[in-house]
Amino acid sequence: MKSRLKILRAERDWSQAQLAEALGVSRQTINAIETGKYDPSLPLAFKMAKLFESSIEDIFIPDDG
Amino acid sequence: MKIEERRSLGNDETKTIIMTAVTGGAFGLLYGYGFEISLWLGVLIGVLFGIAIGFRISKRPPRMEYPMAMFRRIMLAATFLLLTSFGYSYLLDQNLSQTQQYWVAALPLLGWLLFVVSIGLAIASLDELQRRIQTEAIAIGFAGTAIFVGGYALFQFAGLSDVNVGLVLLAMSVFWLAGKLWTLWRYR
Repeated sequence: MKSRLKILRAERDWSQAQLAEALGVSRQTINAIETGKYDPSLPLAFKMAKLFESSIEDIFIPDDG
Repeated sequence: MKIEERRSLGNDETKTIIMTAVTGGAFGLLYGYGFEISLWLGVLIGVLFGIAIGFRISKRPPRMEYPMAMFRRIMLAATFLLLTSFGYSYLLDQNLSQTQQYWVAALPLLGWLLFVVSIGLAIASLDELQRRIQTEAIAIGFAGTAIFVGGYALFQFAGLSDVNVGLVLLAMSVFWLAGKLWTLWRYR
C-alpha cells in the first residue's frame, strides 16, 4: 500500500518525530509507513486521518488502486 | 529546559543507576556463590559493574521505545530472579529433606514468572510496529531454539553429552537477537 503521508507531513512542515509524537507512535513507525514497508492498523489510520483532517482514502492508496 | 524538568530527569537517572547497581549486586552475589569466590567481592564487582552500566544508559539512553521506568521494572524483576536463583543454590547446599528440596526447586520459577511478566508488560507498552518487531523476533527465537534443541537431540543419540539448560537459554537469546536484527532490517 502506498501512502501520501510524507507529502501531507511536508505540507505542514512537520518532522517524522513531531508526527510520531502527535500520533503516539515511534519515529520508526512513521518511517516504515512512509516507505511502504508497514501498513498501519485501522485505529492508527483513523488517527492519522483525524490529524490531517482528511479521509483514510486520501492518505492511503491500495496497490491495485 | 525548566528547572523542574531537569530535576525530574536527574531523579530518573539516579533511580536507573541505583536499580542497575542493585541488579549488578544480585548478579555478583549469585556468581560469587556459584564460582566459590567471596560473596562480598562478587557483590562489590557486580554493584560496580551495575553502576557503570546504569551511568552509561542514563547518559546515553539506547534507542528504546519504552520509558526508563519500564526498563527499571525489568531490572527489578531480573534482581528478583537472580536472588531466587541464589536462594535456590544456597538452600539446596543445606541438608534439606526431599520434600523441602522440591519446594526450594520451585523458588526460581517465581523469579522467572515475574521476569516474563515484566517483559510482557514492556512489549505491551510498545507501539504497533515495535510490538510486531518484538513478536516476530520472539517467534524466530522460539523456532530457532526448537530447531537447535531438536538438532542437538540427534547429536545426543550419536554420543554428544546431555543438553545444558544454560546452553538452551543462550541459544534462545542468540536466536531472539538474530530475529530482532532481521525484523529491524525489514522495517528499517
